[in-house]
Amino acid sequence: MRKIWLLLAKDLRILGRSPALLAALILYPLVFAVLVGLVVRYASDRPRVAFVDLDRLPETLTVGGQRFNVPRVISEVQGSVDLVPMEEEEADRQLATGGIVAEIVVPRGFASKLRGMVESPKLVLRTARGGLSGRVEQQTQALVYALNQRLQTAYIKANLAYVKLIVEGGQGSFLGNEFDIVGLDRAGEMLDEIERTSDDPEIRERARELATFVREARLALGASDQSLRATANPIELEIDEKAGRTWLLSAQLQAYALGLTLAFICVLLAAAALAAERDENVIGRLLRGLIRLVDLVLVKVLLAALVAVGLGFAIALLFGALAEILDVSGGEPWQRLPLLVVGLALAGAAFGAFGALIGALSRESHTAVLVAFLATLPLVLVGLVPEAAARAAWWAARAFPFSHSVDFFQAALYDTNPWGTLAREAAWLLGLGLAFGAAARLAVRRLLA
Amino acid sequence: MLLSVRRVARRYGRVVALAPTTLDVHAGEAVALIGPNGAGKSTLLAILAGALEPSEGDVTAGGRASPQVGWVPQRPAHYARLTPRENLELFARLENVGDPADTADRFIRVLELPDDGRLTAHLSAGNQQRLNLAIALLSRPDVLLLDEPTASLDPRQRRRLWDVASQVLERDGAVVFATQNLEELEQFATRVVVLLDGAVVFEGTLEEFRRAPEADVFA
Repeated sequence: MRKIWLLLAKDLRILGRSPALLAALILYPLVFAVLVGLVVRYASDRPRVAFVDLDRLPETLTVGGQRFNVPRVISEVQGSVDLVPMEEEEADRQLATGGIVAEIVVPRGFASKLRGMVESPKLVLRTARGGLSGRVEQQTQALVYALNQRLQTAYIKANLAYVKLIVEGGQGSFLGNEFDIVGLDRAGEMLDEIERTSDDPEIRERARELATFVREARLALGASDQSLRATANPIELEIDEKAGRTWLLSAQLQAYALGLTLAFICVLLAAAALAAERDENVIGRLLRGLIRLVDLVLVKVLLAALVAVGLGFAIALLFGALAEILDVSGGEPWQRLPLLVVGLALAGAAFGAFGALIGALSRESHTAVLVAFLATLPLVLVGLVPEAAARAAWWAARAFPFSHSVDFFQAALYDTNPWGTLAREAAWLLGLGLAFGAAARLAVRRLLA
Repeated sequence: MLLSVRRVARRYGRVVALAPTTLDVHAGEAVALIGPNGAGKSTLLAILAGALEPSEGDVTAGGRASPQVGWVPQRPAHYARLTPRENLELFARLENVGDPADTADRFIRVLELPDDGRLTAHLSAGNQQRLNLAIALLSRPDVLLLDEPTASLDPRQRRRLWDVASQVLERDGAVVFATQNLEELEQFATRVVVLLDGAVVFEGTLEEFRRAPEADVFA
C-alpha cells in the first residue's frame, strides 16, 4: 500500500506542475456544462411555427361583445412557440425543408364561427414527422389553451352582462335580436306593489310566491360571477417565477456541471497518467517487482478519485456561495456536502477506471487523451438524453458512469429523501468502477509490449 | 551463477524479436551482447531485468537467492517532470532502500548529477543517461544490465560509467552490457555473445571472439 501512495503522490506532484493543463481541464468542462445547459434549455423553448391565416382575420375581432386586437392576442399567447406569419405555400415548403417545425392554419370561416358562439371553430396543426413533433404538439396545445382562456374570459364577461340584464333589466340583443326586458329588480318591485294593492287574496298569495322566487333568483344570480369563473376553470395554475432557485444555480445544472467536469477530467487524467508510464519508459522499471499491475491501475483510479473530490468539492462550494450571495432559496447545499463527497469519490473512481482502461488500450499518452476525449464526449451527450426521448440511448448511457453520477449528485444535494437513489447510484458507480478496473488490469499488460 | 535464462524467446505476433536463447551469467564476469540493430540485444536484457515477460522459457536466479538486478535501458526510464533528486528518492523508496534522501545525495555527488531544481526533462541527454544509471544502482545490484549505456556520454562520463560497472564486478557481481562499440568490448568484456536476427550466433570468451571470423557480424 505504501508504494501505491508513493506513486499517487508522484502523480499529484506532476499534475501540480502542469497548471495550464489543469486549468484547461477544469475550465473546459465547466464552460461545456453551461453551454450544454443553455442548449438544452433553449432548444426546448419556442420552436419556430408558421401561422397561416387563410381566413384573413381582421385586426379587431368582436366575440361575445368583447373586442380582441388579434395581433396583440397572438403575440401575448405565443410564449411557448415562435409564431411566424406565412402564406400557406411558403409554410408547406419550409415545413418540408425543416425551416419550421409546424404550421398552424386558421381555416376559412374561422372568425364567423367564433363570433357566432354556436360551434367551436377549429385550428389545424401540421407537424413534421420525427422526434420534435410530439413536443410541438404539446406546445401548440398550450398555445390553444392560452387562446381558449382569453376567449373564455370574454364569454364569461358576455354571459355576466346578460345576467346583469336579467337582474337589472334594460335593452339587449342576442343573435341579432333586439329586446327590452323588465329585470328581476323591477319585477320584484312590481310584485311587491301587486301584493300591497290587490284586494284578491289569491292574487296576493301568488304575488308573494313570485316575489320570493325573484328574491332567491337575484341572490343566486348575484353569485353567478364567481361560479361562472369557477366552472370555466375548475383548477387554476398559479405561476410564481420567483420561487425556488434561479436556473443557473438549479440542482440540475449543478449536477451536470459536476458530472461533466469529472467525466472529462477523470477519464482524460487516468488515461494519460497510465499511458505516460509507458511514454516515460518507466513501466518496465516499475513492473520488475516494484509494483504489481493491479496496483498501477489502482494508483490511477485513486488519482482520479482524489482529483474528483477536490475539484467537485470546490465547484459545490462555489455554487453554494453563489446561492448565499444571490440569496436564492431551495435545497440544502451545505448540509449535504458530506454526501456529495462520497458521490464525488465514487464517480471519480469509476471515471478513473474507465480512463485507465483507455490508457492501457491506447498505450501512448497523446493517443490516450484523444481516444479518451472521443469516447467521453458521445457517452456524456447520450447521458443527457431523457429516458422517454430515446430509450436505447438512455440504456447505453447507463453503462457509463456519467448519468449515474449526475443522478447521485442531484439526489445528494436536493432530494428530500435521497437514500434510495443514493444507494442505487452508488451501487452502479461501484459496479462500473470494478468492471472497468478489472478490464484495465487485463489490458495494462499491453503497456509492457 | 547469478542469473540464468533457459530457451527464452519473445514474439510479437509473427515477428520473432528473440529466438529461444540460453544464457548463464556468472559472478565476476562482464558479458557483452553485440549485434546489429534489431538483433534482440535489448529484448534479452529486458527479459533478464524482469521488465519483459518472455513468450516462452524461464529466467531463474542462480546460486544466490534473488540477486538484485539493476537495469539501465537504452532509453532513459525516469519521470521527466520530476527533478533528478525527486526521481532518485522516489525509486529509492520503491526499492525499499534505507534513508532515501541520503542515498539520493550520494548518487547526485558520485555521478555529478545537477541538483538545482531543474526538471529532468530539461537536462542534457548525457545527464539523463547518468540519472538512468543512478536509478539502476540504487538497490546496490548484484547484476548490472546496461543497454548501450555510453551512447550519449562524453569520454569522461564513459570512464566514470565503466568505473561504476567495475565496482559491481569487484564485489563479486556481474555486468551484462549491450554495445556496438568494439573498443568498449575489448576493454571491458570477459565473454561475448553475438546476436543476429534474434538468435545467438556466437558465444565465447573475448579471446575466442577475436579468433572467430564468423562472429564479426558487422563485417
